[in-house]
Amino acid sequence: MTTALSHYLEVIRDNLRIDLPEEGEVISELETHIEDRLQEMKEAGISEEEATKTCLGLLGSAKVIARQIYEAHSQGSWQQALLASMPHLLFGILFALNWWHHISWLSVVLILVIGTAIYGWWHGKPTWVFPWLGYSLIPVAVVGLLLPHLPKGWTLLTIPLYFALALWWLFCIVVQTTRRDWLFSSLMLLPMPIIIGWFLTVAPDGRLTETSLQRVYYFAPWIGLSFLTLALTIAAFIRLRQRWLRIALLIISGLLTLTMVAYYAGGRLSLSTFVGLILVMWGLFLIPPLLERWLRRGGGRLKRRRSYRPPVQMAN
Amino acid sequence: MGQRQELIKGGSDSLLLCLLGQQSMYGYQIIKELERRSQGYFKFKEGTLYPALHRLEKAGLILGKWQLLTNGRPRRYYHITAKGRSKLAVERLQWQDFLKAMDLIFQPAGY
Repeated sequence: MTTALSHYLEVIRDNLRIDLPEEGEVISELETHIEDRLQEMKEAGISEEEATKTCLGLLGSAKVIARQIYEAHSQGSWQQALLASMPHLLFGILFALNWWHHISWLSVVLILVIGTAIYGWWHGKPTWVFPWLGYSLIPVAVVGLLLPHLPKGWTLLTIPLYFALALWWLFCIVVQTTRRDWLFSSLMLLPMPIIIGWFLTVAPDGRLTETSLQRVYYFAPWIGLSFLTLALTIAAFIRLRQRWLRIALLIISGLLTLTMVAYYAGGRLSLSTFVGLILVMWGLFLIPPLLERWLRRGGGRLKRRRSYRPPVQMAN
Repeated sequence: MGQRQELIKGGSDSLLLCLLGQQSMYGYQIIKELERRSQGYFKFKEGTLYPALHRLEKAGLILGKWQLLTNGRPRRYYHITAKGRSKLAVERLQWQDFLKAMDLIFQPAGY
C-alpha cells in the first residue's frame, strides 16, 4: 500500500477513539476495501499513482469517516449508562443517607470500586470503567490525608515521597487512559475538583479533625446531591453519540456542580479557592488533549499501536 | 447531483437492508452491486458506506462476520438479522406508499 493510503488509514485510526478490537476491525475492513479498489483500477490499466488518487477521492475525508464511525459505536446501552454512573450513585447514596461514617459500608463501597476498576481495566477498558477508575484513586488520597497526623519527623520524610509516588501513579493511569481517548481522562478526573471543594469546605486547613468530621455530617446531603448530579451526567454522557456534545456536557455539568458546591458551602469556600477549583476543572479539559497530542508525537514507544488479525472463518 | 446524494442519504438504510436481505455481501461488493442494479444512479460516497453499515450493525439489523476466502484474503460479510428483516418489511411498505403518493401527484390532473 502506498504511503498516501497508509497515512489515510493512520488518520482514521487516530481519530476513531473506539475500543481496540473494534478499531482493528474497522481498519482491516477499510484496508481490504482499498485493496479491492486498487486491484480493479490496476486491472483497468490505471497507474498506481492515479489509482491511489482516485481511491482517496472516492473514499472521502478520513476525519469525517472516523467521526461517523465513532458516532456509530460511541453510544452505550442503558445498562452501560447505569454501570458507568454506579460509583457516583454509590457515593451519592453513602452521603445522602449519612452512612459515610459506617466503616463497613465505606469498606464495601471501596472494595466494590477497586474490584470493578481492576476488572474493567484488564478486560479491554470499556467506557463504563473510567468513572470507577477515578474513584479507585480515593485510597491514595486518604493515605495523603493521614500523613500530617504522623509524628513530625516522619511527616517531613513521607510527604515528599508520597507526592512523588502518588503523582507518578496518577500520571501512569492518565497516560494509559488518554491512549484510549483523552475524553475518558477528563471523565475519570471530573469528580476531583468537586471532592477537593467539599474537602476544603469541611477542612479549610487541610487537616481532618473532629470538627471537620462534624461538618461532614452537616454537609452530607449536599455532598450526596453533587455526586448524584455527576451520576446523571455520566449516564447522559454514555448515551450521547456526538463527541462535541459529550465534551460540552462534561464542561457544563462540572462547572455547575462546582458552583453548587460553592453555593451550599455557604461562604466557607473563599472566592480565590473557588477560582482555583474552576482552573483545576479547566485543566481537566485542557491537559488530556495536550497529553494526547504529545503521546502521538512520541513515536512508536508511546503510541498505542497493535497489529490486528480479524477473527476469520473459512467461506463455504 | 447534490439532490440525488440527499435522496441516497435519506434512503441509505433501506437500500442496504434491501440488498443484504437478498444476499450477504461485503462493503466493496455492496457498492458495486448498488451501482450495477441502479444502472449507475446510486453512487455511494465509499467512505460513508462503512459508518452506515456499522450503525445498522449496532442497531442489531445486520451482523458482520469475517470470512477467509480461498485466496487467503479476509473479508467482512454482512448478513441481515431477523430484526433487520422485520424493519425491511416496514420500510418497503413505507417506500411503496411514498412512491404511490408521488406518482399520484406527478400525474397530470384528470388521469
